[in-house]
Amino acid sequence: MQIAKSAKNHEEAIALAAKPLLEDDYITADYIDEMIQAIEDHGPYIVLADEFALPHARPGESVKKTGLSLLVLKEPVDLKGNPVRLFVVLAAKDSTSHNEVLKALAQFLMDKQNIQDVIACENTEDIKKILDERW
Amino acid sequence: MKVLAVCGFGVGSSMILKMTIEKAFRELGVEAKVVNSDISDVSGQKADAIFSSPDIIGDLERRFKSSDVKLYGIKKYSDVQEVKASVEKLLEAKDMK
Repeated sequence: MQIAKSAKNHEEAIALAAKPLLEDDYITADYIDEMIQAIEDHGPYIVLADEFALPHARPGESVKKTGLSLLVLKEPVDLKGNPVRLFVVLAAKDSTSHNEVLKALAQFLMDKQNIQDVIACENTEDIKKILDERW
Repeated sequence: MKVLAVCGFGVGSSMILKMTIEKAFRELGVEAKVVNSDISDVSGQKADAIFSSPDIIGDLERRFKSSDVKLYGIKKYSDVQEVKASVEKLLEAKDMK
């Protein structure tokens, strides 16, 4: 979980958002490239709600463990025409192990206020509190 | 009624879209089976409608030109209002409203 001021572009934001997963050996560096390539291939549909994106790619050899990481940018970065300030990176080892957490995420995202509340947090403790209560 | 929620990989975004579509149908009081799928797996599945991103729908339109499957492009997968508007169009097209 990280809070940063800004990112040069969406590629940098995704790499930054995925850094904890890379450092803790959930993913290899290839996965970051795959997530960025997916946006080139399929468009910006990972922007699931206003200011929220869920970068991810196909389960494969570049994912070692299923996990999520989160990044809040104080200044939005452009993702193909969509300003994004909250990134949740999804690394899925297979196509089912993460389904429960995604269902909870879907509920969380349907209330747009939740996203705004996370973006407004000044520290990761506050983010954690919101997620514990509402995700 | 069977609906496919489609994204590039069938593991992340399509799952979120599936949840949003299910909520929209629930709110409209209509029963539907919603299945999430990835873009390469779409052709083999029978469905009344396919929901996906505008980019992917653009690709699918060519493939489904001669079928009566309804296609709907959704910009924000977790936007219940946007999804609900498309579900309403689908119900109208199927004479269920």
